[in-house]
Amino acid sequence: MPVAAHIPIASSGSFLITPNVGLMIWVLVVFIVVFLVLRKWVFPLIGQALDARALTISSDIDAAEKLRIDADAVLAEYRQRLVEARAQADEIISRARVAGDAHQKEAIETARAERERLLEQTRRDVEAETRRAIDEIRSEVAALTVLATEKVTRKVLTGEDHKRLVEEALRELDFSALGGGDN
Amino acid sequence: MSAITAPTDTRPPGAPAPAGQADKPAGKAGKAGMSTMKKVLLGLGGSYLLGLVFFIAVFGFKPHKSLQVLHNTFTPTDEFKLSTWFSAGPIDFNKGVLYVLIAAVLTLWILFYVAKRLKQRPGRLQTAVEMFYGLTESMTNDSLHDNKLQKKYFPLIATLFIFILVSNMIGYIPLPIDTLEKFKVFGAHIPSFQIYAADTNVAFPLILSLLVFCLFTWERLKAQHGPIGFLKSLMPSGITGPIKPLIFVIEILSYFLRLISLTVRLWANLLAGHMLIAFMGGELGVLVGDPWVQWLLLPIGLAIFAFEAVLIAGLQAFIFSILTAIYLGDAVSSH
Repeated sequence: MPVAAHIPIASSGSFLITPNVGLMIWVLVVFIVVFLVLRKWVFPLIGQALDARALTISSDIDAAEKLRIDADAVLAEYRQRLVEARAQADEIISRARVAGDAHQKEAIETARAERERLLEQTRRDVEAETRRAIDEIRSEVAALTVLATEKVTRKVLTGEDHKRLVEEALRELDFSALGGGDN
Repeated sequence: MSAITAPTDTRPPGAPAPAGQADKPAGKAGKAGMSTMKKVLLGLGGSYLLGLVFFIAVFGFKPHKSLQVLHNTFTPTDEFKLSTWFSAGPIDFNKGVLYVLIAAVLTLWILFYVAKRLKQRPGRLQTAVEMFYGLTESMTNDSLHDNKLQKKYFPLIATLFIFILVSNMIGYIPLPIDTLEKFKVFGAHIPSFQIYAADTNVAFPLILSLLVFCLFTWERLKAQHGPIGFLKSLMPSGITGPIKPLIFVIEILSYFLRLISLTVRLWANLLAGHMLIAFMGGELGVLVGDPWVQWLLLPIGLAIFAFEAVLIAGLQAFIFSILTAIYLGDAVSSH
């Protein structure tokens, strides 16, 4: 590789280390202008904005802390209420269960009494109907007896005869079957 | 950087530009299933190797030095020369002045733009400016413990930081300012594009360092109630015996060397960075006359460019301003 025998890097490079006075003055003037402008109009604005944000963040942190404390209190209260509500609910359930049992027992007793009452009523009705039926049969038998006797004896019977004949006929009849064995 | 194309244009007409070469195969390279990043890297690597083969095949290893190089009239450092464009009385106007003015306008524009639109919920630019503000404020407060002095010197330290930072950053944007090397566009002679920073000229950091030096010396004189106290304050406590004069001389030297160190640190870093970018970006290839050397070194030039722009520009601005804060703090707290 033909590398150059010499490389004229700084044959006239003294200007590199010689300060250019004109440029120094330019830099000084421009820098001072920039410095004065920034100090007067820019840095205060940025500083105020950062201070305001720091203040906001600080108050936000305080507010968040207060909120957290409030939230903790609310949560504790809520938990307490939840425990109370659970206890109340358990009590209500147990009372409802007791009341339900009592109600059920009462309903059963009522139903049983009603059934007994209805049975008794039915029994009485049946007895009354039976009695009425027996009385009707008795009347019918008496009438038939009188009629039959008149035809056999060919004479008109008096009231005394009627009464005697009916009583005799009824004495001979057995109504025990109609009355269920009771008569 | 302008010298890359100005002394000799070794690339034949129709030869693809480096960026174009890098892009085209990047799209075709790679197989199914490869990640996009891998494809791009393979494409770039392939293009780079192809370019190297191309330049060797076309130009070989035989040097193609330009006439300026052959006649020793091409000096890479010339691009840092400040040639006067025009004068207004004793005031010269050159590219260094232009960069200082651009830096000032940009600094003011950015900060005014942000300051007039400050929001409770900041955007990216506002966040960056607030970070800069917070950083300079904390470095001031850490060095100067007196609240009055903090308020007094914070604007100076912050202005130094932002002004140097902007000056450094615009130094990585190629602008047509190299009036020593021109190219023709429709008959018009346009200055070559160049990356240049005002602080590659020693005048820029020197005047700022002088300003800072004068300020911290003045503060020390005030704090020590005159020159005697000033000189006494330079001596470290607890030193006795014959070594005292020697230490005193060393301390005096080190005090005045602060001016040199502040100046040289900023200036040398920026100048060396720009020279490295220029050399690796093509000037070395121009000097040796081999186009393939230009191509070979181009990635190194790009890497140095990225390193300088991303790290050095901000770092040097930070170092200059924090040293200012430290020196000022030392001036008012030394006994």
